[in-house]
Amino acid sequence: MTSLDLPQGTLDLLILRTLLAGPQHGWAISERVQQVSGNVLRIQQGSLYPALHRLERRGWVKAKWGVSDNNRRAKYYDLTRSGQRQLQDETESWGKLISAVALVLESE
Amino acid sequence: MSMLSDLRFRMRGLFQSRETEAELEDELRFHFENEVEKHSKEGLPKEEARRRARLDFGGQSQVAEDCREARGTSLLTSLLQDIRYAWRQLRANPAFAVVMILTLGLSIGANSAIFSVIEGVLIQSLPYSHADRLAYLYLSDKNFPKFALNPFDFRDYRARNKSFESMAGMTRGDLQLSGGSSRPLMLHGFRVTAGYFEMLGVSPALGHGFERKAELPGNGYEVVLSNRIWRSRFGASPQIIGQRVMLNDQPYTVVGIMPAGMQHPGNFYQPLPYGQDVDVWYPFTFDGNPARRGSHFLEGIGRLKPGVTLAEADAEMNSIQAELAREYPVDAGWQVHAISLDSEVVGSSREMLLILLGAVGMVLLIACANAANLLLSRAATRRREIAIRVALGARRSRVIRQLLTESLVMAFVGGALGLAVAWGGVRALVSLLPVGFPRADEIHISGAVFAFTFLITTAAGLLFGLVPAVQSSRSDPRQGLHEGGRTTKGGDGSSRLRNALVVAEVSLACALLVGAGLMLRTFLNLLHLNPGFQQQHVLTASVFLPEVQYKSPASIAYFYDELMGNLRALPGVQAAGAGTDVPFSGYDENLGGFTIEGKVPPPDQEFHGRYHVATPGYFSALGIPLLSGRFFSEADKAGSPSVVILNHTMAKRYWGDKDPVGSRIDFVEDHPTGKAWVTVVGVVGDVKDKPSSPDAEPAFWWPSLQQPWAFPEMSVVMRANADPGSLAEELRDEVKRLDPSLAVANVRQLDQIVESSIATPRFAFVLVGLFAGLAILLAAIGIYGVIAYSVSQRTAEFGLRMALGAQRADVLRLVLRQAAWLTTGGIAIGVILAVALGQLLKDLVYGVSLTDPATILAAVAIAAVIAVVACLVPARRATGVNPVIALRAE
Repeated sequence: MTSLDLPQGTLDLLILRTLLAGPQHGWAISERVQQVSGNVLRIQQGSLYPALHRLERRGWVKAKWGVSDNNRRAKYYDLTRSGQRQLQDETESWGKLISAVALVLESE
Repeated sequence: MSMLSDLRFRMRGLFQSRETEAELEDELRFHFENEVEKHSKEGLPKEEARRRARLDFGGQSQVAEDCREARGTSLLTSLLQDIRYAWRQLRANPAFAVVMILTLGLSIGANSAIFSVIEGVLIQSLPYSHADRLAYLYLSDKNFPKFALNPFDFRDYRARNKSFESMAGMTRGDLQLSGGSSRPLMLHGFRVTAGYFEMLGVSPALGHGFERKAELPGNGYEVVLSNRIWRSRFGASPQIIGQRVMLNDQPYTVVGIMPAGMQHPGNFYQPLPYGQDVDVWYPFTFDGNPARRGSHFLEGIGRLKPGVTLAEADAEMNSIQAELAREYPVDAGWQVHAISLDSEVVGSSREMLLILLGAVGMVLLIACANAANLLLSRAATRRREIAIRVALGARRSRVIRQLLTESLVMAFVGGALGLAVAWGGVRALVSLLPVGFPRADEIHISGAVFAFTFLITTAAGLLFGLVPAVQSSRSDPRQGLHEGGRTTKGGDGSSRLRNALVVAEVSLACALLVGAGLMLRTFLNLLHLNPGFQQQHVLTASVFLPEVQYKSPASIAYFYDELMGNLRALPGVQAAGAGTDVPFSGYDENLGGFTIEGKVPPPDQEFHGRYHVATPGYFSALGIPLLSGRFFSEADKAGSPSVVILNHTMAKRYWGDKDPVGSRIDFVEDHPTGKAWVTVVGVVGDVKDKPSSPDAEPAFWWPSLQQPWAFPEMSVVMRANADPGSLAEELRDEVKRLDPSLAVANVRQLDQIVESSIATPRFAFVLVGLFAGLAILLAAIGIYGVIAYSVSQRTAEFGLRMALGAQRADVLRLVLRQAAWLTTGGIAIGVILAVALGQLLKDLVYGVSLTDPATILAAVAIAAVIAVVACLVPARRATGVNPVIALRAE
C-alpha cells in the first residue's frame, strides 16, 4: 500500500479521466484518484491545483462555482469537448506507451 | 482560436485580478477544510486534523503562486510589480538615477540624431519611382576618371542599348529671365533630352515634358518651370501653360510645371548639387555635325529595365562604345561606367555619416559600460536585499528578471530623454550641415528613428543590465545575510569586471579623442592652407550676356571691358576683373588639347589644360600671384599678338624647370592655314578645385579681348579696401547702366566661398569632437565611480594602515596606483584601437598622418589628465580617513 510518484505527464490524464464521470471539485478529484487506484496514487495538492488551472487555460476543462455535498461553495471542473478529445488522444498514447514499455521489458 | 482564448484568459486574470485572487483563495480553503474534515472523521482530534492537513498541503502561498503561473497571469503581473518596484528604487536613489538617465539619454539621443541623418540621407530611397534602377553614365580614360558624354555618342547609346528602359541627357545652361516689371533674374537651368522627366519617373504637375522633335536643331524653345519659379514669378497661374516667356531674350513656350519637391539628381560639370535648386528645364538640341565627337559635355542618366544589373548594363554600354570607336576613331580609349544614382548622390557623404554613427555608437557603449559599472557597485550594496529574496524562495531567473526590469526601466527613461535630445539635436545637426549637403531637407525624426531609438534603448538596457543581474543573482544568501557583507570586498570577480569595464571605457574614449584630434588637425590644415589667392574683401558675382544681343566674342569682350573700367573707378575698389572661373566653385568642364612648339607629347598622351578667359584685372582682384612674365594688359586685344597665361602646374608639367614665358602653343586642330601660334606671357600661382584636392590641374587663360569664341558668362571679381558687402548694389547699378536687361547672379564674398569649401571637414570635426568630449566625460564618471567605490570598500583597510603608521601620502599613492593601472591600460588599448580604426578616416583627413604621433600624444595626455582629475576626489577622501572611526565601523 505504498504510494507511488506519478510519472511525468500522467497527472493531466488522470484528472481528465476522472472528470469523464461528471463535474467535480479539486478535492473530490484527488480523493477519487486515490480511492480508485487503491491508495497507490496520491495527488499532491501542490500539483493538483496548478494542473487544474493549466487545463482550464488550455480550454480542456471549464470551471464553475457550485455547491458541494456538504453545502459549501466549491469550484467545479467540467470536461469541455476539446478536453474529451484530448483525453482520447492521451489515453491512446498512454496505451501505446504501456505496451511498448512492456514489450521491451519482456524481451530477452 | 485557441491562441485567442488563451490570451483572453490571461487578460481576464490580469484585469480582474482581485476577483480571480479571491476565487483562488476560496478554492484552496475549500480543499483545506475538506481535508480537515476527512481527518476528523478518521477520528483525529480537531487540532491534530488541522496540523495534518496543513502538512499535506504544503506552503499555501507557494501553491497559489504556482496556480497563478499556471494561469499565465504571473508573468504580466510580476512585470508590473517589477516596474513599480524599479521606479521606487530609482526614486530612492535620485543621484544615481540622474547620472544614469542623463548619460544614457545624452548618448541615446546623439545616436538617434545621427541615425535620423543617416535615415534621411542614406536609407530612404530617392524620390524618383524605383530609384534603385536609375544609373549615371560617365566616361573615363587613363587621364580622366570621370568625364561627360558626347551628345552624338549619347544618341547612339540611346538608340542601340537594350539594358535601359529609357535614357536621358542633361547639361547645365542657366537662363536669364527678363521682361515684365520685375528685375532680371538668373535662373538655374538644365538642357535635357526628350523623356527626361519620364525617365526619372516624375511627371509635370501641369502640362507635359519634352518630345523627340524638340531635340531637333532650331526647335527647343520650350520650357518647363519649377514649382518655385512658377509661384514666385508667375503667380502660380495655370494659364501660363502655352504662354511665352523671355529667356536669354528669346521667347520660350511654357509647356509644363513640375510639382513641388522635384529634386534635381545632382550633376558633375558646372555642378548643381542634388536638391530643389533647378528653376527651369528646356530641350537639349543636337546641333552640329554628328560625325565630330570630340566635345564632351552631356551628362547621362538611364533607367535600367527590371532585372538588369548595373554590371550587365556596364558591359553592354562598353560594347556599344567599342562599336562607336570603330566608326569614329576619336571615340577610342573611353570606357563607359554605369554608377547607381544613389551612390552618386550620397556616395561621398556615406562614409562620413557611417563614421559618425560608429563614433556615436562608441559613446553609447561607454555609457552602457558606465551604467553596468554603477549597477555592479549598487548590486554590492543590495546584496542583502537579494539574499533575503533568495532565502525566501525566489528563483534565480526571477531575481534576474527583476534586476533586468530595473535596468530596462532606466534605459527607457533614458531613451525618452534621448528622443528629446534627438529632436533638438537633429535641428542643430541640419543647421550645421555643409551647404549643399545632399538630402539635408529630407532629415527628420521619422518612424524609423523611433524604431531605432526603441531598439538601441532595449539593447542598451539588456547590455548593461544583464551581467550585473546575473552576477547578483549568483550571490550566496548565507554570505549575503551574514553581517550584510560589510567586510567582504565585493567579490574579486565583480571588482575585476568593474575594472575591465573602466579600461574599456577609457580605451574607447581615447580612440575617439585621437579621431577628434585628426579631424581638428585636418580642419586647421585646410583653414590655414594658402589657397593660392587672397580671400579678404573680395566680392564675386556672375553676369550672363544673352546671344541675341551679344552675338560676337568682340561684343562680349567690349561689355566686360567697359564694366571693369567703370567698376575700377568706384571709390573703395582696389581692383576689378572678370573671368570664366571663380576659385573653389567647381570645375566648369572646359578642357582643351594643344600642341607646343618644338615639343612632342609622350606616346598615348596629349598636352591638355583647362581653358578660361580673363580680363586684365582678374588675377590682381583675386590676389593670385604672378610667378613669371606679366599679367594681361589692355594692349592684349584683337589685332595684337595672341597671348596666354598658364598656371604653375601646367608650366611645371609641360616645361619642367624651364620658364615657359616666350614659348608658343597652338590650340586649333587641323588649322586650314597652318599653325596659329599663341605666346605664353605669364605664369600664375595654382588654385586647386577645392582646398582638400591633392593637386591643381593644368590650366590657362586667354585674355578676354582675344577670346577665341564667345564666353557669354563671366564672374566679376572686385577687391575692396574694406568690407565688400556694400559693393553688391553698386555692381548692380553699374550693370544696369550698361544694359538694364541683365541679371547679376551668385553674389558672394570670396571668404564665404572659402569658408563653405571647408564646411564638411568642420562638420566632421565638430561632431567627432563633441562625441569625443562626451566619451571622455563618461569615462571620467566611470573612473570616478570605480575609485570611489573601491575607496569606500577599503576604508577599514586604510584606517588600519594609518593606525599602523602609514602617512596620508602612502594612502594617496595606494589609491592613485589603482587608478593609474586602469588608465594606462585603457589608454594603451585606446591607442592600439585608434591606430587600427584610423584607416577608416583615410578619406576624411588632410595633411596629417593617420598615426600622427603629436595627435596621439595629445589625446593620451588629455585622457590621462582627465583620469587623474576624476580619481583625485575619491583619493583625497581616502586620505581623510580617521583610523579610529574607520576601525570602529568595522
